[in-house]
Order: sequence, then structure tokens, then C-alpha cells
Amino acid sequence: MDLFDKLKELREEGLEEIKKATDEKRLNEVRVQLVGKKGELTSILHSMKEVAPENRREVGQRVNELRDLFNAQLDETKKNIVSALIQKKLEDERVDVTLPGRKSSVGAKHPIYVILDDLEELFIAMGYQVVQGPEVETDHYVFEMMNLPKDHPARDMQATFYVDGENLLRSQTSGDQARVLEKHDFSKGPLKMVGPGKVYRRDDDDATHSHQFMQMEGLVIDKHVTMGDLKGTLELIAKHMFGQDRQTRLRPSYFPFTEPSVEMDVSCFNCDGKGCPICKYTGWIEILGAGMVHPNVLENAGVDSSVYGGFAFGVGLDRLAILKYGVDDIRDFYTNDVRFLKQFRKEEN
Amino acid sequence: MLVSYNWLKDFLDLDIDPKDLGEKITRTGVEIASVEHPQDGLKKLVVGHVLDCEDIEGTHLHLTHVNVGEEEALQIVCGAPNVAAGQLVIVALPGARVAGNHKIKKGKIRGIESLGMICGLQEIGFPDSVVPKEFADGIYVFPEDAEVKPGDDVYEALGMDDYILDFDITPNRADTLSMEGAAYEVAAIVDQKPKIEEVVLKEDGNAWTDGFEAKIDEKLAPKFYLRKLSNVKVSSSPLWMQRRLWNAGIRPINNVVDVTNYVMLLTGQPMHAYDARSFADNKLEVRLANDGEKLTLLNDKKVELDSHDIVITNGEKPVMMAGVMGGKNSEVEADTTDVILEAAIFDGTLVRKSALRHANRTEASSRFEKGVNWDNVEKAINMAALLLRNDASATIEAGLLKATDTKRPETEIEITGSYINKVLGTELSSDEIVKIFDQLNFKCASAGDKLTVTVPNRRWDISIQADLVEEVGRIYGYDNIKSTQPLLAETIGGYTEFESKIRRIKKFVEGQGMLETISYSLTSPEKAIRYTMNPKSVVEVEWPLNSSRSALRQNLITGLVDAASYNMARKEKQLNLFEQSRVYDHEGGSYNEREHLAALFAGETFDANWQHQGEAIDFYYVKGKLEELFLALGIDQDQVEYKAEVVSGMHPTRTAAIYINKEYLGLIGMIDRVVTLADKSLRGSELYVYELDLDVLSQYITKGMTAKPAPKFPSIERDLSLLVDKKISSRQIENVIKANGGKYLHDVKVIDVYEGSHIDNDAKSLAYKLVFLNEKDTLTDEVVTNSVDKITDALVEELEVKVR
Repeated sequence: MDLFDKLKELREEGLEEIKKATDEKRLNEVRVQLVGKKGELTSILHSMKEVAPENRREVGQRVNELRDLFNAQLDETKKNIVSALIQKKLEDERVDVTLPGRKSSVGAKHPIYVILDDLEELFIAMGYQVVQGPEVETDHYVFEMMNLPKDHPARDMQATFYVDGENLLRSQTSGDQARVLEKHDFSKGPLKMVGPGKVYRRDDDDATHSHQFMQMEGLVIDKHVTMGDLKGTLELIAKHMFGQDRQTRLRPSYFPFTEPSVEMDVSCFNCDGKGCPICKYTGWIEILGAGMVHPNVLENAGVDSSVYGGFAFGVGLDRLAILKYGVDDIRDFYTNDVRFLKQFRKEEN
Repeated sequence: MLVSYNWLKDFLDLDIDPKDLGEKITRTGVEIASVEHPQDGLKKLVVGHVLDCEDIEGTHLHLTHVNVGEEEALQIVCGAPNVAAGQLVIVALPGARVAGNHKIKKGKIRGIESLGMICGLQEIGFPDSVVPKEFADGIYVFPEDAEVKPGDDVYEALGMDDYILDFDITPNRADTLSMEGAAYEVAAIVDQKPKIEEVVLKEDGNAWTDGFEAKIDEKLAPKFYLRKLSNVKVSSSPLWMQRRLWNAGIRPINNVVDVTNYVMLLTGQPMHAYDARSFADNKLEVRLANDGEKLTLLNDKKVELDSHDIVITNGEKPVMMAGVMGGKNSEVEADTTDVILEAAIFDGTLVRKSALRHANRTEASSRFEKGVNWDNVEKAINMAALLLRNDASATIEAGLLKATDTKRPETEIEITGSYINKVLGTELSSDEIVKIFDQLNFKCASAGDKLTVTVPNRRWDISIQADLVEEVGRIYGYDNIKSTQPLLAETIGGYTEFESKIRRIKKFVEGQGMLETISYSLTSPEKAIRYTMNPKSVVEVEWPLNSSRSALRQNLITGLVDAASYNMARKEKQLNLFEQSRVYDHEGGSYNEREHLAALFAGETFDANWQHQGEAIDFYYVKGKLEELFLALGIDQDQVEYKAEVVSGMHPTRTAAIYINKEYLGLIGMIDRVVTLADKSLRGSELYVYELDLDVLSQYITKGMTAKPAPKFPSIERDLSLLVDKKISSRQIENVIKANGGKYLHDVKVIDVYEGSHIDNDAKSLAYKLVFLNEKDTLTDEVVTNSVDKITDALVEELEVKVR
């Protein structure tokens, strides 16, 4: 057999061997056997001296061609083997994407704070300072300064927890108004504040009463603040809370610390004013009380009521939350049942 | 006050739908809580004439034949005890609807055909509280003056065709607690002059005042008028008056009492009628009661009076609790012939307190406490006398005894149109404003911008300019005021610095998967200081609703534990709760409030699922949550120190007090098993909590920062395994490591803790990972090895540690 035949034979056998190799180890053996330093092609080159000199060039060329062919086939096969391996590994790693994920807990704001934070943001954007006052307040700030002297009949409307003769758990946040009014320097600009916080009343707890609840007070005082400004501001609150398409109405009302005094109703968002149990078939739902600050309140705080005036409003946050979320028992806000609270994870805040 | 639309028509020409009128009044003056039409829902109720009435043997029933205006009388079986032949009654015909949307059908009772029902007032919708006593347990019988005939609808005769507007007044608008007051109010709204008539009275009896001695304390009763009537015949009131009374929610009693109530409804002036026999000595006194004096009131309530109650006496003993209720001993009875009528103004505050103290508020007392019209006293007493002459054929003795008669001048207020416009944000002309005061029936003199308004005494709620602004605003209509936003110099809104920090904390904790809770500030005195490291003087309320809500809490954990108990009782065992609220104390004579944050964890760190088992929450998990919080707040953890402590309510060996810069910050640990064992729903649960004083923490929270580039060189880690005495804390070891680690020691982490059978009983094994980093250059092994050597030397030296 001459070298050419040998090469021909090697070519067929080599390609067959490469084809048969199914893992990397075997393929490496084949590579060493065919194109390694001591491999078959090398040995053919070594036997070149047996070739006629005129043929040596051609044999050399053939050997190189065959080496290139083997190398290409070896590389190709290796690629296929590796890729098959990866493929298998990936297949083994397959997850069932429909199985449930692993969860830790998801937090939530308390619904009353959802409402409060939302309102605070609204007012901060309009230039209001958020002010906090003490909950154990003096009779002086909660009542006397707010034009509710001792024996005022309106004090009956708010049964109060006293801790001693002069100090009490505030029954309204309006004490914050008095404190801020006393301190404010009007030469530095108008006074615009909201004062949120807890308040307490001697009511037995039931579905509609709570001895503790939250209010937010608002106060704007300057030289030119009108009832129209109050109306505009209250409408803003109502529409912000309950939607731009709500109707509102102001009703005359009475608070010792404002004159004129009004209450604001918003058209029932449940029945759109047609009448339903939520609005007690009136079509309207009361959401807050407000008015132009009573001159006595200003004067009590040392503010000249002939120069300065403005408006105040107070809104019950529990009530807003009850209305907004359709809660029918105020105690739900204070029993802290996680099945109730978890619902508010999805509420934007 | 329930205001009859039909009665209002005595004063005004009204052709407006009563419901629309109600809405108008609501927007302008007084909230109209409802507008009721009593006959709504009723059908086929007619007057019937009972032709005959026989007892049905062996039953309490009666067989009647009733003429209902048809050719043939109806046979009706009636169970009422008071049914009798000859009566005019209310008949529900077959197919009728009565109260409660109940349908009346033909039927058989005890086998006897009954074609309808003879009705009592309750059955057609009258509340029990207004049904005259004589008809309380039977059918209603029309009086002779009803002017009804068989077949007529009953609604008009009974006043059920009326519309009743419920005036839900605020305390300042007690002027509308009378028909005349309501008429003035509605008149202003519909722009009419109300027809309020004066009483013209001709006395026809003898002069009586000379022999009668009335001794009145003017401070207690600034106005006190009396009249005497004789030959009174006590019987029922005419039906027209009864109608008006029951439509106003008042039960008709007899013609004397009814007149006093009617006049109160008409004028707003509370009245009282005494049997003149009560004043046998012709003496009457108004004074404060003596402590311990007793009086039985008309409602049979026995009260013990004291020196805060005003009483009317017959010179000896009380016969009336002034302004509240009459005494049984001076009651007008069936055989009364002579009546003393009283119309007076009493001190409102004293009356209010008396009514409250004796839990006996009445129509009269609520009027006195809110105020009455001082100018209506004479009209009221004369009107009552006139009506008694008409209804009870009384003789009016000559003379109106004005025992006291303090005058109250009308209020005059000066104001300008421009001030009104400035406050309301309106542009009303002087004429428009004058017109509004005219609608209100206030006298108003104008000179250019300046207005002088004279407010009649019937509007005692008005005394200052702001009150007039309100009158103009509401009558002009709040609907007509343009909505604007305040146009003021710019102000910057925002939270206080402290409040911003609290918000930052809350936001982070919520992000850690915690549910926000709110608990009551009031708790029991014991719970108020449980879970509290250094209890302070407790704030207690004077009249608590109950003993479990009597003291202000000094910790928030107590609320969280209550919440845990509530939830666990409902099988909710995975709890991640927090609260941010205040705590309160009364230390050093002042009332102090501090902001706190507390959290409670129970259950597992991650939900167990098909893949993993749950891992119980423990001390270190909770501590990790706290460390994360400190990290997020930029607090240097080296400043924070945890010291094992014993605190009431907390697990004695799993609790630490937390200090920041040596200042007490709060505590962390497990709720004591003594607490959880005592609560059935908490039994067996491990509740972990922490509570922080945010007033302290906030001082360490920084705002603003400068960024550094990330280090360009890698760090080198070395592990250090130590055998130490059990008593030595990890913190002590860390301190030594940090003190000796040199400037490239970047971080120290505990990677293993072991106590157990493989080592000495007194020893524990701890392993640390030390991270070295030079931010400016490559760190060599040599430098690191030197540092580690220094550390180990120090550990051996200072803590007798064995390096493994």
C-alpha cells in the first residue's frame, strides 16, 4: 500500500473515529491518536523518507490537508459535545414556573395614616406647615382660648377626660391653633398650618363612637383671607379625597371658635346623590366643619382681629377613612386585626 | 324641633315643595335632618261610624258593624277594649296599607268574617310617645270637634297630610325652637314678611295680684310673670291643638297642660301651670334649694335637691324645679278649677346643670340652657290665658303679676359693607346688604358704607360684627360665594425636622414588611408601665370609662401585645406589627410626651413553603431588623450598645436595654413567658419586640452626606477561630479586635458560635471573619498578618483567649 492509499484509509478511519467519540475524554484520545505529536499523521510524516522525492511535496500537502480536516472535525465535534452537555445541564435545572414564590411579609400603612399623609402632602404643597401639639393639654388652650369659657353649653358636646382641674386629654386639636397663633410673627408673613393628631372623648366605644380618634386642624390667617378662600380650600379637600366629580355644599353651622361657621357635605359617592343607606337617604355626606376664625380667638392669642383674620377647619380622619374605604365600624381602626390591616398594602401611599 | 309645614303656613304664603324648602333651609340656616309626610305609605284609611258593637262570647273580641260611607256597613271584628257603638273611628278597609307597610285583607277571625280593621293610632304610624294616654291601649276615637263623617280620609283630621321638617339645630340657633322663630327664619329665606300677631287679651275676672306675695331672686329669674285663671274645666284639648302637639312630638294630656306646651311651641317660651291650691297661703318664692330638700317630679322621679337647683316654693316647700319640671304636689288634675300660670326667664346655666345632674332634661330645660326670647314672656302668658279661656272656659283674673321684669336692651352693632365683603370675599352693594337685613327683620340704618344694625332680642345669638357677617353670608347664600384660593405672600410648607425624621423611620420599618397599627393611649395603670425600663409617674384620668382605660401608657409594646393576643385568638400567628405613637408621663410636676417606635414579631422569618421549612423568629432576627434600621438612618453602630437587663414583662434572659452613646434608647427582647402563659391565645408563642425612644434616636439621625468613590483595591479576609470563657461577650471580643486591628481593619463579622460537648463546659468557641481594606493602595499579606498577630496577642493578653 502506498502512502496515498494509507492516507486515504486514515482519512476514512479517522473521520469515523471522530464521529464515534461521544464525550470529551474519548475525543481527546482520538485527537492525540490522529493529530498528536505521536499520532498517525506525524508518523506518516516521519515515514516521508520512504516516499519518492518527486512525491514528497504532494504527500506533505495531503497530510496537511488531512490535519486541517481532522482538526476542523474535532473542533466541530467538541463543540457539539459541549453544547449537548450544557443542554442537558440546563434541562436538569428546569424550574416549574407555576409553583408559588417564597414570600416574606409585606408592610402597610395604617388606613388613617394613609388618609392623613395624603392630606398633609396636599397642604404642604400649598405652603402649609404641619404642626404638632401636646395631647395632654390645658383647659386654657383647648377651651378658654378657643372661646369656650367655663360653663359654655358647647362644652357638653364634648365630654372630656380631665387628668386634673386644669389639664385634660384634648378633645379637639384646636388647641394647636391657639399655640401657633400666640407664637406667630405676622411681620414675617401669613400663617398657614395644619395640625393633625389624636384626640379623646368620654364616649363608650361602639360602631360609631371611639374614645380615641384622629383629627386634622387647619388654619390660615393674614390680612386678606376670605370666606371664598375657605370655600375654595374646602372644595379642594373634598375633591382630592373623593373625586373631582363630587358636588359639595356648605351648610351654616356652629362652633364657638369660628363665626361664620359652616359644615361641608359632599354628594354621596355611593349613590351619587340619589339617596342610599350610606348618606341616610339625604344624598349628602358631612365631611368637615370650618369657619372664619372668631375674633375672640384671635384676640385671646394677642392677634389684632381688626387687622388679621382668616379661616380654620377641622376634619375627622377616622370619619374620612370610614367613608373612603366603606368601613362600618370605627373600632376596626384600633383592634389591629391583621386581616383588616393587610388590605391596605395595596392602597397607594 | 319638629316644625309643621301646615302650621308654618299660618305665618307665610308657602307654595314651595316641602322637601325643596327643607334643602333651602339646610343651606341657609338650620340643618333639616328629614322632611316626613306622615301619610306616606298609608292607603285606604277612612273614618267609620260604629253602628253596633257586641261582645263575642268566650273571647275578648267584639263584633261590630261600621258605616264607612258606603251603602252597606262593614262587619268588622275588633279586639280593642274601648270600642263601642256610636264612635267615629279609623277604619282600614280591605286592601288598606297601615304602618310598617302592612296590608289589611278580608279575613275570618274565629270563623267570623271581618272586612277590615278598626285602628289605634300606633297602627297607622304614630309613635307611642305622642298617643294620648286614653288611646294608648285601644283604638282611636275621633272627638266631636273633629268634623269628620264616615268615608272621609282620616289623614287631614289627624294632621297626617302635613309635612314635618326636623330642625336639627346647632346650640346657637335655639331661636328656631319655636314656630314664630322658625317662621322668621323661613321668612328671611323665602323673602317674605312673616305674619306674627300680637295677643289682645281682655281680662274678665277679679283682680288677684294684691293678695299674692311673690318673692323672687332676680339673679335666678330675671323675668317672672304670673297669671291666675279660675273656673277652669279640665278636659281634652280641641283636636286642632292635639294635632299640632303630636306632630311636634308632644303627647296631648289635657287642655291646661296642652296649652302650656302649645304656647311653648308657638313662642319658644317655656310655661308652667300650677293648681292654685298649691299656693294656699298666697305665697310663692323663687330661690336656690336647700341641701337635702326633696321633690317628686311630674314624671314620678324623686329628686334630692341642693343649693345649685333653682326651685319655686309655696313659701314653704318646693313645688317645681325651675325651668326643668313641675312637682307632683302642684300638678293640674281633673278636679282643678283655679290655675296659676307662670312664664319666666331662669338662669340658663343653673337650669342646664340641674337638668344634667338629675338626668332630667326636658323641652323646657333645653330651651332655657340655649336661651329664650326675653321679649316674648308677656305674649306667651297672655296667649296661654286666652287659649285657656277658649279651650277650658276659664275666667282670666285681672292683673298680670310681673314679679321680676328685667329689661334686656336690643343689641346695636355698627359695621361697614366693605368689612362684610372683605370677610366673605363678595362684592355686595350697600343696598343688597340692607335688603338682607330687611329680610331678617333687623332694623338697619345705612350711611354710605356704614351700617347700624339693631338686632331684636329674638336673635340673642347675635352680638358682634362677625355674627352679622354670618347672617349676610348665609342669606346671600354660601352657594353664591365664589370659590377662591388665598392669595398670600409665599410660605414654605413642610414638616418639622423631628416629624420628617419620624416619617423616615416609619417608611423604612414599613418597608421591612411591618403592618402599622394604632392602639389606644389609655390603658390600665399596670400595663401603662409594664415593658418599661424606668417607669415614671403615671398620668391617670379623673373619670375613666373603665379601669382598663384609665391611665396613659408609657410604652407602646402593651398595645402590640394586646394586638397579638387579638390576632392569635383568630389563628393569625404570623405577626409583623409596629406602632409609632406617643407615651406620656407626669414626672417632675409636668406632663411629658415622647414619641416612640415599637415593633412586635411572631411566627417565622420567611413563610414556610413547599420548598423550605419555616424558621422561627428569634432574638437575633429582631436585632437584625433593628440594625438594618440603624444602618438606614446612618447611625454609627459602634455607638449602640446592648446590655442584658431585667425589665417587667420581658423575658429575664432574653432582653437587652439599648444604649446610644451611653444614653438609654430602648429595649429589645422576648415577652416574658409569665405574660404569654397568662393569656390563652398567646400561650406557647414567642413574641419578640423592640421599643425605641425617638426623641433620643432622632438626635443621632443625620441628614445630608458626601459621597466617596468605591474603593479601587480589593479587600483581604482572614478568619479567626477562638476558644473563650463563656462569660466573655462577643462585644468584648469585638472591642479588642477593633482596638488592635490597625487602620486597615474594615469590618468584623461573627461567623460561628459553638457551645457544647466538643469543648469545655465553661468555654465557647467563636469564629470571626476579619476584613482588611486599604482604600488607597494594594494591601500586602505581610501587613494583614501583622495586624492579625497584634489582634491575637491582645486577645490572649486581655481576655485569655485561646486561638485555635
